[in-house]
Amino acid sequence: MEEKHDESRKEAASGSLTGTALEAEDVLAGAEPWEPVETKLVVWSLLIAAAALIIGLLVVPTSILHTP
Amino acid sequence: MADLSNRRWYSGMLTQEDWWAVWLGVGFFFISLFNLAGVDLVGWITYPTKWVLYPPEGGKGAVSHAFYALGKKYSVTAKGFYKGLGWWSVLWTYVVFTIATCIGAAFMRWNLKRFFTGWTIIYFLTIATWFVGHHAFIAANKINMKQYGLNFALSLGGGGSFILALIVGLIIGNFFKPFANYLSEAAKPEWYIKTAIVTLGVKLGYLPIKLSGFSHKLGKEAASLTFDLFVAGAAATIVAYLIFWPGVYVISRKLFKLPRKTAAVLGSGISICGVSAAVATGGAVRAKPVVSIMVSALVVVWAVIELVILPGFFTHVWPGTNDPLVAGAAMGMSVKTDGADAAAGELMDEFMRNKIESETDGAVIWPSGIITASAVMTKVWIDMFIGIWAFVLALVWVYKFERRAGEKVPVSEVWHRFPKFVIGYFFCWFFLLALYFGPGQSGAVEAMPFLKSVKAGAVPIEKGMRKLFFMLTFLSLGIITDFKKLKEAQFGKMVWVYFVALFFFIIPVAIVIAYLFHHGMQIPNIAGFVQ
Repeated sequence: MEEKHDESRKEAASGSLTGTALEAEDVLAGAEPWEPVETKLVVWSLLIAAAALIIGLLVVPTSILHTP
Repeated sequence: MADLSNRRWYSGMLTQEDWWAVWLGVGFFFISLFNLAGVDLVGWITYPTKWVLYPPEGGKGAVSHAFYALGKKYSVTAKGFYKGLGWWSVLWTYVVFTIATCIGAAFMRWNLKRFFTGWTIIYFLTIATWFVGHHAFIAANKINMKQYGLNFALSLGGGGSFILALIVGLIIGNFFKPFANYLSEAAKPEWYIKTAIVTLGVKLGYLPIKLSGFSHKLGKEAASLTFDLFVAGAAATIVAYLIFWPGVYVISRKLFKLPRKTAAVLGSGISICGVSAAVATGGAVRAKPVVSIMVSALVVVWAVIELVILPGFFTHVWPGTNDPLVAGAAMGMSVKTDGADAAAGELMDEFMRNKIESETDGAVIWPSGIITASAVMTKVWIDMFIGIWAFVLALVWVYKFERRAGEKVPVSEVWHRFPKFVIGYFFCWFFLLALYFGPGQSGAVEAMPFLKSVKAGAVPIEKGMRKLFFMLTFLSLGIITDFKKLKEAQFGKMVWVYFVALFFFIIPVAIVIAYLFHHGMQIPNIAGFVQ
């Protein structure tokens, strides 16, 4: 079992798509409760995206703000 | 982040596909530069042309000329020799690229015998498909079909060959599985496409040189356009990615109630560059290997579906030929494997150019490769983001979710996750630009002999080698794509997450952001120069 797990790990590390590991554990069940740190991760990501969008639109010469 | 202590910055240079894409692409690019010394070592690279079984009197398309060595047209020093090669150029190309790819396969420790036989079969299947796809009925358009004695043609350009290659691959992959399995040692779409992307760098650098041949002004326009794509692509990608990942993560967690690690891997797989991002994130958050493998399989299968749908949709529904570079950039942000994205970009490039030429009765002709470049540019930026994002997620998981005492995430992880083929892409691009702005004097008349020598080397690489590797990618992608995987019950929920996230979130957001940064960008019209 351990050997098979190692093999799967190796295949994942190599990006292989034909892994024997496909017949494996259920990884879709058992969702943990949503935690505040996840909210932080999501919100910060979106805030940085908004800032990057504003700066990008102002700075990039081909953006819609500069297109006649 | 275990077992990383032995890795050096140069680890994998001789053993990774990424690096071997660089060695192949940059290697042949350097060989092409011998033209500057008056020696043409790449003119043998083969290329197809449109054909019909019974060409009209005085018309074009004899089968005997269906393949030719590119040196026949572009060589400065050995035109006569390469003219005589004709169909033999197919064999020359086979021998040289077989040696090159087998050296790579040996260094990557693949099974050399199986790679050699698999590669040989894939190569000749590719040539056969390329040949069929260039029948004038498939490839000609209404502007030139009369020259082949036809009253109707599908106007697919080179795109018909790509679709055929994909179909042939899918038939092998889904109906001849033992054969597909045998070919799998050489069916390496990621390697072939990364090599093609490095040679796309040659294409970008060569564009101003090519257009300088038409006019000094056009050359400068092309150089400026490629820089604009570079900057707009970077901005669009950063914004898009930082919206994609949290969006998909929330959809997976809140709507589909998936566990945190699975949602994180899915978020990266659907948002960034599919396979490598899924594997990188899986490693960073220490998800079970099966998660990365399942997401990778989904990414590949969905990428093929996108490849079939999106080029036609963007060309004929929206934005069409009004905003071709918006379509290209949106493609780059929507299709999640390098192979499928560059292939879809190339397909759309063919569709759009044929469409605009037909719509305007030949009054507008766009140079090939610019739409492909816009699709690849956003993808390349996303690829570069993988390392940084895997690093950020590793930090969040180590220090917030799992709080592993004393564990540190090395900064070098960013370098190890960095897609190395991007280095080859930029290197070739900037090297040729340096030649253009330096000794090429920005396309001045007195520098034309020099630029002609550069062109004699660049064209076989950016046209012949690049399209051959695109064809190899399409065929290989089909071979490794197994639609049965979608049916497997275990995938059911993930298939739906992927579907919802891709079609209702990723693609619409990609289109909006591509529009914000690329709307109104124009491709130079070369109609007055090529006719």
